[in-house]
Amino acid sequence: MKIHSVAEVTGYLRELLEVDSMLADLWISGEVSNLSESTAGHLYFTLKDEASQLRCVLFHRARLALTLENGMAAVAHGRISIYEVSGALQFYVDVVQPEGMGILHLEFERLKVKLAEEGLFEPARKRALPPFPRRIGVVTSPDSAALHDIINIISRRYPLVELVIAPTPVQGDGAATGIVQAFNTINDTEGIDLVILARGGGSLEELWAFNDEKVARAIYASRVPVISGVGHDTDFTIADFVADKRAPTPSAAAELAVPHRAELEARLQYHSKALVAALSRGFEQYRQRIDELTRIASTHLGNLLTISREKLRGRELKLGSLSPLATLERGYALVQHSATGEVISRIDQVHRGDAIEVKVSDGQFKSRVTGSKKGLQAWMNSFPSKKR
Amino acid sequence: MDEQLSFEEALNRLEKITQTLEGGGLRLEEAIALFEDGIRLAKICNEQLNSAELKISQIQTPLEQGLESKDESP
Repeated sequence: MKIHSVAEVTGYLRELLEVDSMLADLWISGEVSNLSESTAGHLYFTLKDEASQLRCVLFHRARLALTLENGMAAVAHGRISIYEVSGALQFYVDVVQPEGMGILHLEFERLKVKLAEEGLFEPARKRALPPFPRRIGVVTSPDSAALHDIINIISRRYPLVELVIAPTPVQGDGAATGIVQAFNTINDTEGIDLVILARGGGSLEELWAFNDEKVARAIYASRVPVISGVGHDTDFTIADFVADKRAPTPSAAAELAVPHRAELEARLQYHSKALVAALSRGFEQYRQRIDELTRIASTHLGNLLTISREKLRGRELKLGSLSPLATLERGYALVQHSATGEVISRIDQVHRGDAIEVKVSDGQFKSRVTGSKKGLQAWMNSFPSKKR
Repeated sequence: MDEQLSFEEALNRLEKITQTLEGGGLRLEEAIALFEDGIRLAKICNEQLNSAELKISQIQTPLEQGLESKDESP
């Protein structure tokens, strides 16, 4: 016989306890007593009934909103092990609920808290649904009313898609595994851009597969966004919390999955009208521009004409002033020898007694030279002072 | 090429064209060409909406291996 150390024995007991799967994951009900809180925020208490009691510890990180009180009838979830330092058998609690809830509710609440803490429900992690999906995976029971509804709604709303049905049982043993495998198959299928997970309404027991941790993780791990449409309006499952989008029913999930045909037709109509309107507006702008240009051009042309006319008049005037007639008009005269017609512009050309002809603006007369005198001064002096 | 346009692509292009046309500032030939493109795209979309039929297929999941895979296309 060997003599063991205390540590050897408590260590061995701990191993024994921790390999037992029942003790690793169990619910225990009892009355809370000896409640105390450590400075680190851990809660120590005892769960007891008429016959027995069990030491419990609830670590700070696992604590819930629920306030524990001595005397409270409670149900706790956790694992049994030995605290080797004191050699005490302890129940390591992760969830405590008040007594009175069914075990499924308790399990539901426990898993909800656990997955929430892990971040599986994070709003920031929810993916946007594709606005125009092409291949939609449907994880549901074949020949179910849920599938029938989905097919009906999508073929009416937006028949441009392909539904890829991944059949699985959705209740009873094997449903959770089936759903997980359906997700795996869909993840391996090319071109699927959205998944609908659906099941019609049922009791909490019937919907239980959708509260399974494996299913929750399969939804979370899906390659493409997932819409859950499980049960009726009021049923909430863990699957609903993990899904990228929760629909209250399978039909509602189908409606969320695809755009509405009527809305698309309205959009197309809007665009067709907008195109015509924009083009006519374009034409209208061109028309206005043409009008404007025409107006500008004709104004310029008018100006040009006016300018030309004035220029022309200027020319006429100038021409007029160069003509000898205008000179005669101003009182000058043209003098010629009567005999030769030679124009007399110098005094040396005439002698006393010469016959000359004098032309004025409106006629001519004959005359005779009676005397002459050379020199400009003489001419200037004889010039009549300017008058007409 | 247009035959392969998906509804989404056609609709997106149509929306872009409408925007461009409404923005104005185009040469007349450009505006007319865009207009024609837009009308054609709207037609493609409408035809797709009106002629499409929902396709349904079923994939085998390990659990359903015993079940025969069937194509339920209407």
